[in-house]
Amino acid sequence: MNGFEFISTRSVEDAGELLANGKSTQIIAGGTDLLGEIKQGTTRPERLVSLQGVDDLRGVKIYDEGAIIGSMTTLGEVADSDVIRRQYSALSEACDSVATPQIRNVGTLGGNLCQRPRCWYYRSPHFDCRKKGGDDCFALEGASKFHAVFDTDVCPSVHPSDTAVALIALDARVLLISTDGARMLPVEDFYISPSADVTRENVLEPGEILAEIVIPTVSPNSRSVFVKAKERQAMDFALASVAMSLDVDGDVISDSRVVLGGVSPLPFRARGAEQALTSRSVEDIEPGLVGRLAVEGARPLADNGYKVRLTSGLVSRALRMLQDDNIRSGA
Amino acid sequence: MTANSVVGTSVPRHDLPGKLTGEAKYASDIQLPGMLHGKIVRSPHAHARIASIDVSAIEGLDGVHAVLTPFDAPEGRLAPDVAILDTAVRYVGDEVAAVAADDEDLAEYAASLIRVEYEVLPFVVNVRDAIAEGAPQIHEGGNLVGGEPLALTRGDVDEGFADADRIFSMSFSTPAHSPAPLEPRAAVAMWEDGKLTMWKTTRGVHADRISLASALGVRREDVRVVGATLGAGFGGKDESRLSVIAAELARRAGRPVKIEATREEEFVAGRKRHSTETAVKVGVKDDGTVIAIHQTTLMDTGAYLASGPGVVRRAGQAALYLYRCANVRYDGHLVYTNQPSAASYRALGAPQGHFALEVLMNHIADELGIDPLEFRLRNHVGIEGQAGERVTPASEIIDTQPVEGGIPFSSNGLHECLERGAEAFGWSESRASDGQAEGHLRTGSGMSMLIYRGGPGGRSSARVRLNEDGSVQVIAGLMDVGEGSTTVIAQIAAEAVGVPYDRVRVTFGDTADTPEAPITAGSTATFSTGTAAKQAGEELKSKILGIVATHLDDDVSRLDVVGGAVVSEDGNVRLQLSDVGGLVGEQAIEAEASVMPGSRDYIVNSFGAHFAEVEVDTETGNVRVLRYVAAHDSGRILNPQLATNQVEGGVSQMLGFTFSEEMLTDPQSGVTLNASFLEHKSPTIQEYPPIEVIFTDEPDPIGPFGAKALGEPPSVGPAPAVVNAIYDAVGVRITDLPVTPDKVLNALSQRDAE
Repeated sequence: MNGFEFISTRSVEDAGELLANGKSTQIIAGGTDLLGEIKQGTTRPERLVSLQGVDDLRGVKIYDEGAIIGSMTTLGEVADSDVIRRQYSALSEACDSVATPQIRNVGTLGGNLCQRPRCWYYRSPHFDCRKKGGDDCFALEGASKFHAVFDTDVCPSVHPSDTAVALIALDARVLLISTDGARMLPVEDFYISPSADVTRENVLEPGEILAEIVIPTVSPNSRSVFVKAKERQAMDFALASVAMSLDVDGDVISDSRVVLGGVSPLPFRARGAEQALTSRSVEDIEPGLVGRLAVEGARPLADNGYKVRLTSGLVSRALRMLQDDNIRSGA
Repeated sequence: MTANSVVGTSVPRHDLPGKLTGEAKYASDIQLPGMLHGKIVRSPHAHARIASIDVSAIEGLDGVHAVLTPFDAPEGRLAPDVAILDTAVRYVGDEVAAVAADDEDLAEYAASLIRVEYEVLPFVVNVRDAIAEGAPQIHEGGNLVGGEPLALTRGDVDEGFADADRIFSMSFSTPAHSPAPLEPRAAVAMWEDGKLTMWKTTRGVHADRISLASALGVRREDVRVVGATLGAGFGGKDESRLSVIAAELARRAGRPVKIEATREEEFVAGRKRHSTETAVKVGVKDDGTVIAIHQTTLMDTGAYLASGPGVVRRAGQAALYLYRCANVRYDGHLVYTNQPSAASYRALGAPQGHFALEVLMNHIADELGIDPLEFRLRNHVGIEGQAGERVTPASEIIDTQPVEGGIPFSSNGLHECLERGAEAFGWSESRASDGQAEGHLRTGSGMSMLIYRGGPGGRSSARVRLNEDGSVQVIAGLMDVGEGSTTVIAQIAAEAVGVPYDRVRVTFGDTADTPEAPITAGSTATFSTGTAAKQAGEELKSKILGIVATHLDDDVSRLDVVGGAVVSEDGNVRLQLSDVGGLVGEQAIEAEASVMPGSRDYIVNSFGAHFAEVEVDTETGNVRVLRYVAAHDSGRILNPQLATNQVEGGVSQMLGFTFSEEMLTDPQSGVTLNASFLEHKSPTIQEYPPIEVIFTDEPDPIGPFGAKALGEPPSVGPAPAVVNAIYDAVGVRITDLPVTPDKVLNALSQRDAE
């Protein structure tokens, strides 16, 4: 394992300055992903700046306009928040589905959003793949069971974050801070496609810190759900996941989001499924149809054709769960 | 049974306090003055010749004390196909060179500075390519080990198939998977006066001593191997170069050297279960009588042979002996590839072979409209064994993996396992009900049965000594691999001598103090070393009684040892054992037995029947085992708690093989893709079902106090029982393990399309 300098900061400003200051420096939050990368030699930072001591970045705050979650809030803390569970169930469920209790007690929401892909060719020191600046993708001709079925041309690794999928369904935004100022953008726009820049998965510029996650308030009639398929229930990344949110007016869906995880290099909005849901009655819509629409256009690789059936089924299941929920709550 | 009754009770395992308090010393805990740390340079190529190695960058580097390359390594070999280091590398991760330095980080850094020039060679990573014409040769003599398949026959299969009313066949595959022990392998080597002491992770100190001495070119008497507390083995922990490299580095440095495998090294360069491709064909009469079985297995041993011949042999045993059948044939092909090496893993080839046979037999029962339990009750091999004439000479001990007919079993509780297991499971009710048959969750029930070697292993010895304080010392070369064998052998000795369990002390797993012993493998420890311990214990008791009778002028036939004291017929204590030593002065009171365990008249085998209920989620492809029943005939159970642990552990471990564990290599490069606990998906407590364990608990006439083999048999049953249950639930037969969601979903899609 490569050596590095470790600096613990107390403020975002100090962290920003350290980042802007030459040396190859990376932010470390919970470290559950980054330390693995350093051990594997996938990344070799000279310096790590820890945000563990920055109290401003920690905690869930509720306002009339919505919720603000500090990026250093642990996944366990988010999952345990009553308000999050009540109003933003998809996020609560997504946090709860990550890894193990031990990892959720250390891993942070910001860190989860900034994870690097789990693609085994990217993670292995034996392959100089495109994501690491090389010329080739080894998954396209290799072992592709866990890879993408959408947007596979350049790099078919899938984005591993469960929480990103839920946050996009909840129309959340992220606040990015640097010594030059701050910017706020939808989580959806935080991620970029490999065709734009294959060496990174998000728009964070050098020196920029993901500080907050802002989720708009939801109407009392809105509901959301997150479902995730895994090979091993106790601890696994998603084979595929779905976050679905419905805003319901009377019996009619006024707005919907269907976001897929584990099937594309970045969280994938299934717009065909969203269109089929919006303006329809919650009770009438056929879950199987929405599931089929969600995976239209999928182009699986050699080993992952199963993800089409799986994802379609998960979307149907998510809708059934929201329909049951709707009936139970008497809406 | 004597009045002692130590045997048959769940005495606590003797190594428990140390493990619970953390005082137990594992190999990596050992620290010696001046000890260095070793690191190994590993091949990035699946197949290459090493042209040159340049170590100039680390020569004179402060803190680096020894380097080892294939160009300067001793010429001895660990095995016929394994040199200490070799100029040929045969898988990605194969050992190339090694260094020893003051600390682990420095050793790793120094290893990274060694420059290796490779001539890259063509490679093969699957068995079919490896045995094709023109395939790259991995070792001299070709990729098919031995030049021809192992062929075993009884009767005439062609005739059998000609007489069959119906013939069924199916093909199967099983993956390589890692034993994934919590403790990675480790070794600490120290030389003094030209003599080597080695502390290591091991399952056989005496076998290690022999192979280390021969590889390093020293006399066996100059090598001492100490088995540290083992953090699980499951058959692994030897058969790699790690300890011999530590020894050679230590010899060069003139200081002790420790090498501990990283988790990734344990997965890649440790050893794993052989992957297989198997085709089985079975001929039956219309009434369900099995009259011909032919199994062909292709088995991947990877880069090195290790225990491969034994593994490929055992993959055929179910086909050869589990069903009463006059005509059988097994063809086992063991093949070298450029995969990481396979070796021993709990039950060797038996899970692979049973999986194929027991899934096909279920299919046959279904096709004939016979309940799978009924089909097995009608066809399983009985106590009389297979029909035929004995070939083994009457003076020879019977093979516990027989092919020939005409030899009965010493005991055979298979029928009882089937009946009692089925009753506990509620088989007939479960099959009569459709279970959950609507919606996306479907339930189903399945079963399997199994046969396994019963415990006779190689020559086994034990020494039993009366200590000054009246306690009894049991001394054996056996290694406890974490299963509790030394506890059970201490129980056997206590029972034989006539002392309470807490008056027994044990010395195991150290070549300095113990008589030669085989490795702890093949479920033989309790049976084989136990037989020696029982005999030695009985001899010690005779000696004690003889001494007491002489000195107290008593009739020896009226004396006994009970509860740690010599008592007379009326039950009165004549003498405490602590006072016996004083009668003979300095003379040691001890007895040693060395036995060839087994029988000249009977096959000694263990048996079992497994039952599983599963729930299949047709949307996600996930399968959950709702409950599990494992019924075993392992003879008399000497320690019920430890025995139950073995069954629960074996079933749980092999649910990993069934559902999620698989070592994956990149087809284009041979690189292992998932060398981590995260990606080699061993199940956790969350995945385990409730497991009900049933023992027939009938004494075997040959085994010590009636015991037979138990360690491995439980790991044989799970895969076929579960796969048969999945078929019952959703009507698809998964013939390629592991049963991951992708395979279930693909099979369901195919079923829906048909």
